[in-house]
Amino acid sequence: MELFRYATSIYGDSKVVIGASWDLLPWFVAAGAAFIIVHAAVKAITGRRGHAH
Amino acid sequence: MTASETRAPVAPVVAPSTARVLRHTLFDRIYHWLMAASVLTLMGTAFLPIAGFKFEWLSLHWMTGVVLAVLVLVHIVRALIWQDWRAMIPDGADIRDGFRKAKAALGGGGLVAGKPGKYKIAQKLYHLAAALLVLSIIASGLLMLLKIDTPFWKRNPYWFDSDTWGIIYSVHGFASLAMITLVMIHIYFALRPDEWWLTRSMFGGTVSRDEYVEHCDTSRWRPEDRS
Repeated sequence: MELFRYATSIYGDSKVVIGASWDLLPWFVAAGAAFIIVHAAVKAITGRRGHAH
Repeated sequence: MTASETRAPVAPVVAPSTARVLRHTLFDRIYHWLMAASVLTLMGTAFLPIAGFKFEWLSLHWMTGVVLAVLVLVHIVRALIWQDWRAMIPDGADIRDGFRKAKAALGGGGLVAGKPGKYKIAQKLYHLAAALLVLSIIASGLLMLLKIDTPFWKRNPYWFDSDTWGIIYSVHGFASLAMITLVMIHIYFALRPDEWWLTRSMFGGTVSRDEYVEHCDTSRWRPEDRS
């Protein structure tokens, strides 16, 4: 998986970066989902622990 | 002995407080919702075509981007001149309480964390991250306008060499991708039942005095009374 999008330079002899790779899109969505799941789980566990005391 | 002296003591009936305190002025709420609409429009016009929904996205995208830039400029001027911008900067008490809360959540016990002022440390850190990303997106986006024809100017892609354009487009792309993560987290917190008191205040502007006393350190945030 590439981090960047590339194009061939106008001289045709090298690759130039033209932006971030859109293949990363699902990874950023997954990062948001992972945060939400972990936070919700921690809150549920600590909430239950709080009720038990 | 009178009748009142012989009567058994009765616990006083405490009526729930109906007093309201102002948390967000109308101006700030309008700003928040216009910014939300702009950001969601920008994300839709940026990422839906990438996801395969093809439409003429560029005009709506750049015009909404200019609207967002104006909104953010107004917000910065207002925050610096008329509002207490320090209320959004993490201070020593925030950091101390953040560590105490994290320790308690991990089962470490220790001292009880104090209440925050108007904003929790998580809200302040979120705002800092969002500000960094949005300013990066706006700065790079305004430069990218040099590459398109608009009713106001003709394109001139020769301002920068191709390597510099690559950096500008990369900053715009990475910051926009990171905004997806931040917006997801923001919506998640707005929907959590334990945060509804805050979400409601972004619609109505106020929180109840009971919510204010329950969630905030009243010595660190002294809002206007709206009772």
